[in-house]
Amino acid sequence: MKTLVLGLGNPILCDDSVGFRVVQTLEGRFGQDVVVMETSLAGLSLLDLLVGYDKVILIDSIQTKRGKVGEVYRLDTGDFATTKHTASPHDVNLATALELGKRLGLAIPREIAIFAIEVQDVTTFGESCTPQVERAIPKVVDMVVSELDRQC
Amino acid sequence: MKKITIDPITRLEGHGKIEIFLDDQGNVANAYLQIPELRGFEKFCEGRPVEELPRITPRICGVCPGAHHMASTKATDAVFHVDPPPAAKKLRELYYCAHMCHSHIAHFYALAAPDFVLGPDADPTQRNVLGVIDKVGLEVGGEVLKHRAYAQEIQAVIGGKATHSVCGLPGGMSRAITEEERADFEEKAKSMVEFAKFSLKLFDDVVLANKDYVDLILGDIYTMKSYYMGLVDANNKVNFYDGDIRVVDPEGKQVAKFKPADYLDYVAEHTEPWSYLKFPFLKKVGWKGFVEGKESGVYRVAPLARLNVADGMATPLAQEAYEKMYSTLGGKPVHATLAFHWARLVELMYAAERLLELCRDKEVTDPNVRTIPTATPDEGVGVVEAPRGTLFHHYQTDEKGMVKKVNLIVATGNNHAAMCMSIKKAAQGLIKAGKVISEGLLNMVEMAFRAYDPCMACATHTLPGQMPLEVIIYDAEGNIVRRLSQHLHSEPGIRVAVVP
Repeated sequence: MKTLVLGLGNPILCDDSVGFRVVQTLEGRFGQDVVVMETSLAGLSLLDLLVGYDKVILIDSIQTKRGKVGEVYRLDTGDFATTKHTASPHDVNLATALELGKRLGLAIPREIAIFAIEVQDVTTFGESCTPQVERAIPKVVDMVVSELDRQC
Repeated sequence: MKKITIDPITRLEGHGKIEIFLDDQGNVANAYLQIPELRGFEKFCEGRPVEELPRITPRICGVCPGAHHMASTKATDAVFHVDPPPAAKKLRELYYCAHMCHSHIAHFYALAAPDFVLGPDADPTQRNVLGVIDKVGLEVGGEVLKHRAYAQEIQAVIGGKATHSVCGLPGGMSRAITEEERADFEEKAKSMVEFAKFSLKLFDDVVLANKDYVDLILGDIYTMKSYYMGLVDANNKVNFYDGDIRVVDPEGKQVAKFKPADYLDYVAEHTEPWSYLKFPFLKKVGWKGFVEGKESGVYRVAPLARLNVADGMATPLAQEAYEKMYSTLGGKPVHATLAFHWARLVELMYAAERLLELCRDKEVTDPNVRTIPTATPDEGVGVVEAPRGTLFHHYQTDEKGMVKKVNLIVATGNNHAAMCMSIKKAAQGLIKAGKVISEGLLNMVEMAFRAYDPCMACATHTLPGQMPLEVIIYDAEGNIVRRLSQHLHSEPGIRVAVVP
């Protein structure tokens, strides 16, 4: 099963870099079937990256109204299916991009797992995460590893 | 006073929102657009080698990193007083035309088309790119993705990466392209020209053939008389990569033409207590508040502005499209904000034709793509036209080339005052006492700012990574009487599955 482990975010925007940080720890730990990558893309450009994989594991930061910083959620694309409306100032969202890909007959992954880390600061430039987010990184790494173990 | 909030980001603290204040009668008293600002960028850059900025500055925006990469690279040329060889300039422009194609295609099909193909007040679950392809055909969707991908592939080959490219160096480019690559680009560019023709035809069939839409475009609520700014080449034709900055007044008369390095003589910035982001204005006209007309220093940038400041387009099919736009909309300049969409497609035509021209230029494969800098670095300005308007990068360094000061005026910043005014005017025209404030009506308010293709702190990629829209209507006491939510329950909808 061809799997993509994809860290999303902005490497120089504080906690928004957490997805990058997680995949950097994971690089080189898996066999050939697992591709580990980092990206700052979204929408249709993100779709380009996902096409052709059987399974995709996304790692990204998240902010929810009552979330506790450092918490990790395992989500799937269904959790974002309610945002199929045109809402971005410049691109479509993940659910819309996937649906578009599906309708156009592209090889959309059968499964997309999302690990989201509740974060604190995504508006200050800097190359490190806030302490609670920093502490969550090993936990997310373990979760991704066991997710991959389970499918083997 | 009643308050309506259109909140584009519900889960990210401090993100952009539109707030509309009603008076006691239910008419619009005022409207504000608030754009957040990311903090600490200048500090982040200080003390770093200036040649790293072309790789750092694209990270401030997830939407037009290619534009930042190019403006930044040009600024480093200026800092080191170095003139890149002709092949490097052509290669940069080729890359940049591909970037324009990519961005304009995405905006038109994903963001502009839903309002026109489905209609401004169509069901919001349908009013998106999926609804568009349902209506115009699945094969069109395929063509959209194909040509977006072509543009990305060209950028990736030249830039090392499609989005956060690493090709620009002071004095040139990191590597030349091969004849094989050039030939491949040429095929893609040919196809891009055909796709641009198709897109203009689609605009004809869907928008121009519908009298209601033409009336909407030309209607008073979406009209704003302002100054315009944009880059022009030596013949005063539109250019995205290089040239002088030209400014025309609301009658279309040139009032300034200057070199990028002199921008501070022409542009000043006004601040408001309610906004993090500043409001650039024309220094020689002065800030007169959020008002239209010749007395006010408010100017606009981006596709329509670029067409308004230019004497025409440098390629034949784009010139044809340019002439058609102005003859249909009543001559130059056009002040209709929704005409930004049309101008964007005229530019797509130009970007595709120019891309093809550059791909056929034999010099573009010349291996000499770098002039090694020898002068002592100090200060420089680099300007390009980002898809959403004029982008200024201004750096100062010490004699070793370490950054001391960074000043950026980003495209959306230039349009900031104009966007606020367009939103207010649309809101005042649409929301009237006693009239039901429907979702469609509020979408029509948003159309006034969507036309600018604005980019609001999109450097953050935090989930959901997009900007869901929420509209809250308050009564006179500030209680929520109705919630119109385009993103539907996203906040409680998050299912927390695993927290070990």
